[in-house]
Amino acid sequence: MLTIESLSKSFDKGKSYALKDVTFDLKAGDVCAIIGESGSGKTTLVRLIAGLERPDEGSISLDGEVVASMNIFVQPEKRKIGLVFQEYALFPHLTIFDNILYGISKLKNKKERVQEMLDLVGLSDMGKRYPHQLSGGQQQRVALARALAPQPTLLILDEPFSNLDAMLRKQLRNEVFDIIKKTKVTVLFVTHDTQDALSVADEILILQNGKVVQKDAAENLYVKPNTLYVASLFGNTVQINKNIQTAFHCPLNEKCCHAIRNEKIKVNPAEDGNDCEYITTAKVLKKIVLGDSVQLLLKLDSGEQLTVLTQDKNIADTITIGFNSKDILEFKG
Amino acid sequence: MKQAGSNNETFSLKSRLKRFKRDINKWSVFTLAIVLFFALPIIFIGVELFSGPGETWSHIVKYLLPEYIWNSLYLVIFCSILVLLFGVSSAWLVSRFDFPFRRHLEWLLILPLAIPSYIVAYAYAGIFDYGGSIDLIFRQLNLDFIRIDIMNKAGLAFVLSISLFPYVYVSARAFFLNQANNLLEASKMLGVGERKTFFKLMLPLARPAIVAGLVLVLMEVLNDYGAAKYYGVNTFTTGIFRSWFSLEEPETAVYLSALLVVIIFALILFEKWQVRKIKFTSSKSNSTQILRKKPNRPLKWLIFSVVFLPLLLGFILPVAQLIYWAALTASTVFDMEFILISLQSFGIAITSAVITVFFALILIYFSKWSALRFINNIARVGVLGYAIPGAVIAIGIMIPTLALDKWLIDIFSKFGIDSGLIINGTLIALFYAYAVRFLAVAYNPIESTALKVDNSIPDSSKVLGVGNLKTFFKIEFPLIKTGVFSAVILVFIDVMKELPLTLILKPYHIDTLAVKAYEYASDEMVMEAATPSLLIIFTAMIPVMFLNKLLIKK
Repeated sequence: MLTIESLSKSFDKGKSYALKDVTFDLKAGDVCAIIGESGSGKTTLVRLIAGLERPDEGSISLDGEVVASMNIFVQPEKRKIGLVFQEYALFPHLTIFDNILYGISKLKNKKERVQEMLDLVGLSDMGKRYPHQLSGGQQQRVALARALAPQPTLLILDEPFSNLDAMLRKQLRNEVFDIIKKTKVTVLFVTHDTQDALSVADEILILQNGKVVQKDAAENLYVKPNTLYVASLFGNTVQINKNIQTAFHCPLNEKCCHAIRNEKIKVNPAEDGNDCEYITTAKVLKKIVLGDSVQLLLKLDSGEQLTVLTQDKNIADTITIGFNSKDILEFKG
Repeated sequence: MKQAGSNNETFSLKSRLKRFKRDINKWSVFTLAIVLFFALPIIFIGVELFSGPGETWSHIVKYLLPEYIWNSLYLVIFCSILVLLFGVSSAWLVSRFDFPFRRHLEWLLILPLAIPSYIVAYAYAGIFDYGGSIDLIFRQLNLDFIRIDIMNKAGLAFVLSISLFPYVYVSARAFFLNQANNLLEASKMLGVGERKTFFKLMLPLARPAIVAGLVLVLMEVLNDYGAAKYYGVNTFTTGIFRSWFSLEEPETAVYLSALLVVIIFALILFEKWQVRKIKFTSSKSNSTQILRKKPNRPLKWLIFSVVFLPLLLGFILPVAQLIYWAALTASTVFDMEFILISLQSFGIAITSAVITVFFALILIYFSKWSALRFINNIARVGVLGYAIPGAVIAIGIMIPTLALDKWLIDIFSKFGIDSGLIINGTLIALFYAYAVRFLAVAYNPIESTALKVDNSIPDSSKVLGVGNLKTFFKIEFPLIKTGVFSAVILVFIDVMKELPLTLILKPYHIDTLAVKAYEYASDEMVMEAATPSLLIIFTAMIPVMFLNKLLIKK
């Protein structure tokens, strides 16, 4: 339902690009998360889709209709997109009821609809209050209700939880997505938090320096990341450089870049070689007890340092570590 | 990893034109039209230069121009010195020390802005005149009167400085209060003394803020007509008036105006250059309360006197003189005509304030709704009128409107209608001129309140399906209305005080309080000028206090 083709946007006439050659599409009913660091272009992408910025190149289509290209631009108010801003952007001078009513004032049964939305987000009797009288979490839900009221074809959430602390964040994330699931709307969800994305999204799109690095289902991203950056987003990874290859006696294709996840490195594997294909010895520099597991900082004979996790609390000063070829991640280039 | 090829493609002329076609909308065109409308007076001055100077121009260049330049330079230099002395010292003292009546003095020091400088000039002429206040006091004490002649260049520089220093005071104090605290503490921790902290740290840091205030003062100095005329000092502005009214040579007035505009732009460039070199001020304002030093008793009163002096000279003395005069003459001045003139004055000021604020609003929002980026920068050009002296704007409007009226009269006469002058000599030209001159006065407070409204607020309105205009009326206007209200008040005061532009453009049968005061003073009836002057001052005083609150917040 959303198709984006070679979309580019520069804010300095081409000296640098906030977004470069971005292409992807979204099926109706999908929940897609966009992950990226600050400056990766995720907010620019969202603003382009909503019609708050104009592309320098490429096109955006919604339900088969082009809404932005080199010669077409459909105003944001005509796009039927719901957008929840990072800072909620509730109208401070209007009550909660009027905030939600704002986008549906032309509807026949608008008042019933507002009440329906208030019920949906669990704020049934808060309609007469003003935004500043609400807690952060409540404001968030009002913003959601306001965006959902006009029944948008696409709902975009721009870093909706970044203003909240960790505890509230988890709780609110689940609440918000329980509400969204009820409406069956297509969702684009921007975050810089991998946990947020993994817990709610069917698909994840990863942006780095204005480019799409990978778009895939969550489990595929873990198993088959396209780049070291993607791999490291979903858990600590160690790059298998020349020195490590020598230490483990595992020569790898020189044209590719390789990495292994820290949790796939086994501590003291069985000595017969059936457990691990590649093994080496390492000195333990430091032990950090993390509750039921222990984090070890190791030094290989080649001088490389790496960390591993183990359940075993009785660790000698020198240990064996190893991994299997099926766990090696291989990246082109 | 930029691909040079595709960059060229995206930003080739062809692609740019394509996007330009996509992005240009009615708001872009409207913005351009408004900016052009506000730049017209200056454009006309530029165009008129090509029709050549008038007959007396060579005479003026030879005999008068050196004097105009020398006098203007003299005023610029001496006013700068005096204004910096009054403004910076008082700003520093009120923000660094605790002394008697500090809280009151802090806002009272802004009051001289309520008195137009020509009125201060009248008051001081009376104070130092034969039979004036000082003379009377000396005679009471049986002392010989030592007459100080104030009606000359030096006196004019003093009068202008004492009435305009608050511009520097306000911007310097805002810097000292908002930006300086953590630096002060750092300096203290490093064991640096008070004097060295001021000269080595605070003064250089405050320079951009002080220069900004100073440039405003100098623009007003070059704009002044009433005070210079009364004190018999020939400046560019009096020269423009003379060539327009006495010599009846518009071409000469145009040439003088053009020269004056060049000087003003040099001033603006000087400010830009000063600020470009050093942009110290961090955008974060410091909210921690400044800890003021508590000096011992004699020092405390010394500081009080230093801060009190500019208030005494710039407000209390002139107002006292005016009240004294008004008490003597009010009964003859106050009649039906005076009431009528007051009402006209208020009416004109309110109408033009509303018109000006309307234009400021549409300029700010139309340029925002234009999807072309360069339009946003162009919008600022429309605001430049504030730098242009009122007399110059008046000339720039007079010439084209006279031509337009001539053309209109011709057209109407073909239909057998005797229309007379439609624009010139009517209120239309006057309102237009006020809007050109005071657009910035309205634009700046509205823009600064508009900037406080996060973009996501109007954006979410648009995403919810509501267009630009409706978003403005339902969301943005309610959120910026305090800014709009203060803009109306600020323009209102400025129009009430305005003299040179009003003198040139006002309709024959209409007077304002400012014009009335000027006419009394010109007709050797300066005592009678006191009553309209006081009315202007008291009208301006209440909002000036209000403005002070606004500036503190800024």
